[in-house]
Amino acid sequence: MKKISIALTFLILCLQAAHAQDKFFTKSGKINFNATAPASPEKIEGINKSVTCVVDTKTGNMQFAVLMKGFEFERALMEEHFNENYVESNVYPKTEFKGAISNNATVNYTKDGVYPVKVKGKLSMHGETREVETDGKITVKAGKINASAVFSVTLTDYKISIPALVADKIAKKANIIVDCSLEPLK
Amino acid sequence: MTRKTIKYSFIVVVLIIAGSVFFAFKEFNRTKKDVADIEAAYTLSSNDIISAFSSDEKAANLKFLDKTIAINGLIKSNDKDEQGMYTIVLGDSASMSSVRCRMDSIHNQEAINLKTGMPITVKGICTGFNADEMLGSDVILNRCTIKIN
Repeated sequence: MKKISIALTFLILCLQAAHAQDKFFTKSGKINFNATAPASPEKIEGINKSVTCVVDTKTGNMQFAVLMKGFEFERALMEEHFNENYVESNVYPKTEFKGAISNNATVNYTKDGVYPVKVKGKLSMHGETREVETDGKITVKAGKINASAVFSVTLTDYKISIPALVADKIAKKANIIVDCSLEPLK
Repeated sequence: MTRKTIKYSFIVVVLIIAGSVFFAFKEFNRTKKDVADIEAAYTLSSNDIISAFSSDEKAANLKFLDKTIAINGLIKSNDKDEQGMYTIVLGDSASMSSVRCRMDSIHNQEAINLKTGMPITVKGICTGFNADEMLGSDVILNRCTIKIN
């Protein structure tokens, strides 16, 4: 009886340890929002370095969340326009992605290397949710994981309209560049 | 109209145009104000702001979003990223939730000697609440500076 209970305890501990190492996360990931039109003389880009991101290495499920007010632009005026006129961050404070790595089986999370991945899921921004799919990269190095991907989104899909006056500067398609260094979730 | 009136009105028009160009240029190149120079709209403890957001996120967003806020609390951890930028995490070490204060680049060095467990007041711009069941829910402050207790 004693032996069984010891074995059981050991088994439970092992399972817990295995479970704990499945998930990787960060609360200080980076997202770069770039809507610079090809002919624009100035950069229209903002960066947010407080991105929450979780990747479940077992299932390939991944999600990230970012607060729109946390995007920093070079010019104060640009930042105000981004918040007030385009993404309306007072009404829609958060952008979220929930999805999965479709070719998760090809990634060996225990072996160092760079693995190309396909990411598919739902992106919610400005009160609109759309199916998105893109290519990304998982880098495994010394027990840590870096997840990066570029989402190209058509702004009108998310009901973000660009006034004619600045249409030559702001691209119709914005790049959302995600870069997260993840640590094991304990 | 005399020659004189034409001359003066011409000068006035030129002055108005020059003024608006100058104003537009200044506005276009305006930089963000240093948070250290902005007076905090609210001063409260890390636990109080976390509970304000957890109980009613909408109301808390209306009250705190985009405002300069001073938060006092105990340092749970002081994280440094790859670029050497610090994020001071305030809150109860037993709880998953915290206030995450990302330092402003010009005030970053103020965070170098801060250790876990120290009481501190941090001033920054509130960018909102990131609720997550698994990771704990956080209030995020951006462009932070340290206001000595």
